[in-house]
Amino acid sequence: MSKINLQDTGALFQIAEPTAAQAAPRAPGRGIGIDLGTTHSLVAIAPQGAAPRVLADAEGRVILPSVVSYAGERVVVGAPAMAQQEEHPERVVSSVKRFMGRGAADIEFSHPYQLVGEGGVLRIAVGDEPRRHVSPIEVSAELLRALKQRAEAELGGPVDGAVITVPAYFDDAQRQATRDAGRIAGLKVYRLLAEPTAAALAYGLDRGEHGVFAIYDLGGGTFDISVLRLHAGVFQVLATGGDSALGGDDFDRALAGHLLARAGLGEPSRRQVESARIAARALKERLSAADSVRIDLESLGLVDLEVTRAELEALIEPLAQRTIKACKAALKDAGLRAAELDGVVLVGGSTRVPRIRQLVEMTFGRPPLTNIDPDQVVAHGAAIQADILSGSERPGVTLLDVVPLSLGLETMGGIVEKIIPRNATIPISARQVFTNYSEQQTGMVIHVVQGERELARDNRSLARFELKGIPRLPPSMARVEVTFQLDADALLTVTARELMTGVKQAVEVKPTHGLSAEEVDRLVIESLDHAGEDYSARNLAEARVELGRVILAVRRAVGEVGHIESLLPPDDRMAIETALSEADAAMVAMVAMVAGSTTESDTEAAAASLTRARERLERISEPFAARRMQRALNAGMAGKSLDEIEAALADEGLDARRGGHSAALIQDDDEHGE
Amino acid sequence: MTDADYFGLLGVERRWRLDRGALERNYLERSQASHPDGFIGQDSGTQRAAMERSSQLNQGYRTLRDPVLRAEYLVKLGGTDLDSSDPRTGAPKPSQAFLIEMIDLRERLAEGDVAAVREEIEARAEQALDAGIAALDRGEVAEAARELVARRYFQRFLDEVDASEERPT
Repeated sequence: MSKINLQDTGALFQIAEPTAAQAAPRAPGRGIGIDLGTTHSLVAIAPQGAAPRVLADAEGRVILPSVVSYAGERVVVGAPAMAQQEEHPERVVSSVKRFMGRGAADIEFSHPYQLVGEGGVLRIAVGDEPRRHVSPIEVSAELLRALKQRAEAELGGPVDGAVITVPAYFDDAQRQATRDAGRIAGLKVYRLLAEPTAAALAYGLDRGEHGVFAIYDLGGGTFDISVLRLHAGVFQVLATGGDSALGGDDFDRALAGHLLARAGLGEPSRRQVESARIAARALKERLSAADSVRIDLESLGLVDLEVTRAELEALIEPLAQRTIKACKAALKDAGLRAAELDGVVLVGGSTRVPRIRQLVEMTFGRPPLTNIDPDQVVAHGAAIQADILSGSERPGVTLLDVVPLSLGLETMGGIVEKIIPRNATIPISARQVFTNYSEQQTGMVIHVVQGERELARDNRSLARFELKGIPRLPPSMARVEVTFQLDADALLTVTARELMTGVKQAVEVKPTHGLSAEEVDRLVIESLDHAGEDYSARNLAEARVELGRVILAVRRAVGEVGHIESLLPPDDRMAIETALSEADAAMVAMVAMVAGSTTESDTEAAAASLTRARERLERISEPFAARRMQRALNAGMAGKSLDEIEAALADEGLDARRGGHSAALIQDDDEHGE
Repeated sequence: MTDADYFGLLGVERRWRLDRGALERNYLERSQASHPDGFIGQDSGTQRAAMERSSQLNQGYRTLRDPVLRAEYLVKLGGTDLDSSDPRTGAPKPSQAFLIEMIDLRERLAEGDVAAVREEIEARAEQALDAGIAALDRGEVAEAARELVARRYFQRFLDEVDASEERPT
């Protein structure tokens, strides 16, 4: 996906529209909040205004280790997967969040996996016989699916939608990957919510406070610092910063390296590295309470080894200082001094490390708030937001979140022109006009990057596409207006338009290292296939999309040329109008039917009735379509060029597609697009 | 597509001197009313409209909150777009004398007089902004545009000084 060419003018509608198309009746109380963490994940609910609570699995465990095992025939998730890790380090995937939205070249941290880049998409080779390569998105989807099932068991029925949290610092590619994982898991993703914002939501609502808060979030693999203001029912993110590749896992690795060195293992085996890492994690946790710990590590040949907290602290000090530096930068961005804050909230299991608490207290000049379990606070906030978005009558705050990294375009000389600065409140749009440098220039490459560095090559490349058909104009006369639209999930759509001719192109930015839309669709369908009964749901969705498309195409044609009697005689018109209202009625009846029940036979009956309505409408409007086609051809004989006829026909086809896509009736547009 | 007038959008008077309290209040109130979160489950047109209105509010708030962007925006409403190079409606070209002065300043900087030059330019940038605002208050958009363009030159100069200081030598 190095280059995206979109040449027809319908592109804007075809591509940009589906992001907003989600017209579905809401299901109050059936929203769930998911904290999709690097080392562990949780799901929580807060139905109909209830206090949030995290959900446990059948064994009573609330924490789902973010580990997926591909070692056996069946995919195994969570604690059982973890148990297979020591034996099959390369086939049991943990900390997959670090790979989300990344290309092979971006992976600079150590890991036990064999990575393969296929068509720019990073995959993890988890099996040779049979060959199996999985993308990080699919691995994440396994985790989400497990949590969804847990919630369904608790709710005693289907989940309507989910709020999934992401580190505030996640860039567009990482967010897009997370959203895709949600879709593959069969979840309607209401919103991606920044983890610190979720934490603040959990605290803020509980206590009804007003003021400015810093959220220090150190998880397994990511670090975020956010400064938020809460007042008058609005949460405003003032600044955010962090490091999407720094977390407790690094503490483990530092300590593991130390253990291996003490064991005198210069070139340890993979197994030994893995054992050392697992031991290091356990040691780190115990050293939060004890000053020193004695352990036996037989696989490393270490017996009765003493490790002190001071040793651990010395090892992690450089990492801890990196977080403090980011805190100071975020305060500066927010235009605040530490003394002006009203509180500091700790989030993430790694904030249990005493040295971290100490440094945070020193930096912000006050002891941090820790009333809510730092492992659960993010899931609590996500559940509250999910409850609000599911349509519950819950007094909610409005979240005004920000984009964490600047968005820009590469210009001459590889310099980045910033279009939307970091920490701008989302949603937001911005426009910039670019011009041609020579009369010979009829195309323009639009290279979208995200980051703070001056040169494009030092930033994250999000997408590259080419605007074609710029008219030949003297230098600096062509005007290409590029619009960036960031939605409330901080996902980007870029539109480019040549102002003289109106040539327009749009691309919903598909990150260079993400899965293609087709692949996500395929995976969505596969996941539906998994779930037996969902086959009929898919049929229904497709029937609905198809009928919606035909209704709109016919309605549009009637609106445009229906007044010409030779094209549409009164009798035909009457028949078409009748068929249209029957089709509308079938849509309405279907919604009512499916809302009340979810049995397979009802779903199939609904799909069949939609298909019947579509076939009838197509049959009745067929003569009208044939006459329109004939007219276009006749127009051609009357002196128009072949090109123009083709263009006219293409336009007609495009119109129909466009109509289908902008249909408010089609709720699954973005899941079953063309 | 034309920009909605951000002052109207945010319910504050169209002039540089700003009722900050009203801006904050109206921004939060109106953002709350139009945030896309309030429209999940509605038809795509409504959702899109909410996103667009929220985008405008956010963009407007960002512009009006900042003293420089606010001044430049008033000039834009007056018919001169400082981000454009169009000879008629774009940024006015600085005078020859001004450009020569800038070259002199650069030379002084190269001679190593960083602190003093910096201080002087900071003061000049402030003066230019004040003069631009005063011109806006008098309704003299062309004059305001000239001052604000000068301010941009000074600002770019300062940014370059900062960048060169940060660069390891």
